[in-house]
Amino acid sequence: MVDASHDPQLLKGLLSFVLLQLLAEEESYGYDVVSRLHQAGIEVLEGTVYPALARLEREGRISSRLVASRSGPARKYYRPTAEGYAELERGARSWRALTETVGAVLNRPVPDHPREGI
Amino acid sequence: MPTNLTLLDRLRIEGRVWSLDQQLYDLPRKQRIATRREVRSNVVSAAESVGARQALSNLGTTRQLAEEYLQAQFGPAPRASWWSASIFLLTAVLVLTSIFSETAQGFSNGILAASPHATGHFSWHGISYLQTGIDYTVRDGRVDSVGGALTPLSYLLLALGAVGVGRLWRAIPGWRRSRT
Repeated sequence: MVDASHDPQLLKGLLSFVLLQLLAEEESYGYDVVSRLHQAGIEVLEGTVYPALARLEREGRISSRLVASRSGPARKYYRPTAEGYAELERGARSWRALTETVGAVLNRPVPDHPREGI
Repeated sequence: MPTNLTLLDRLRIEGRVWSLDQQLYDLPRKQRIATRREVRSNVVSAAESVGARQALSNLGTTRQLAEEYLQAQFGPAPRASWWSASIFLLTAVLVLTSIFSETAQGFSNGILAASPHATGHFSWHGISYLQTGIDYTVRDGRVDSVGGALTPLSYLLLALGAVGVGRLWRAIPGWRRSRT
C-alpha cells in the first residue's frame, strides 16, 4: 500500500502508467478508475485522474466508448490501444530498472557521520 | 452504499460542471461538450457512492481542473486564448460604437442647440484617425446623418489588441505542427 504521505509530484509522473495498467486489467470509466486507485492505496484527487485520462486518449494510448448507464448520464469506458500496451510495457520496464538502481543505493547502510572528502 | 441524490445535490453538481465549462472555452467545442458530459457522469457516480459534498470536494477546484484539461489538450507550454481575444473584440467594438454614437449625437445636439429649426448640410470629421467623417442633413430641426464608420486604422488596432490580449502568436507552433 502506498503511504498516504507519498510525493504527489512523483506519483503524477507515474500516474499514466498506473492508469494504463488498471485499464489493461479491466475496461473502466473515470470514477471507477478512481475507486480502483483508492482500493490499491493510491490516494489521488479525481480532478487529477480525469484530465490524465483525457491526455492518454489524446495521445492515442487509450480509446473510449460510451455506455448507457441506468443511474444517470452515459459513461465513457476506456481501454488501452496497441500503443498504450507498448507504452505500459516500456514504462514497467523502466520503472523496474529505476527501482532496482535507486533501491540498491537507498538500501546501503547510512553511517553516523559522512566520511571526510579529503 | 449507493446514495440517492436530492434535487439540491444535482443542482450543486450542475453548478460545479457549469463553472468548469465556463473555463474550457479554449477547447474545441465538441471536446468541451464531451468533457462536460464526462465530468458530470463521473461526479454523479461519485456522489451516489460517497455523497455529493464529498464527491465535489474530491474533484478539487474547477480552476485547477480546467487547467489540467487544457494542459492535457495543448501541453504545458503557455497557450493562446481565443476566448480572451473574442471577448476583447466584442467589448472593444461595443465600447467604440457607443463612443462614436454618443459623439455623433453630441454634434447633432449642438446644431439644434444653436438653432432649433436649422436647415442645411453640416460635416464633422469624426474622432481623428479612428472614425470616418459624418455628414448631417438637417431639415427644420430633423437630423439625418451618414458616415462615422471605423477607419482601417481602427480595424488594425482592434486586430492588434485581440492578438495581444489573446496571446495569439502562441497558437503558431501548434498550427505549424498540425500542417505537417
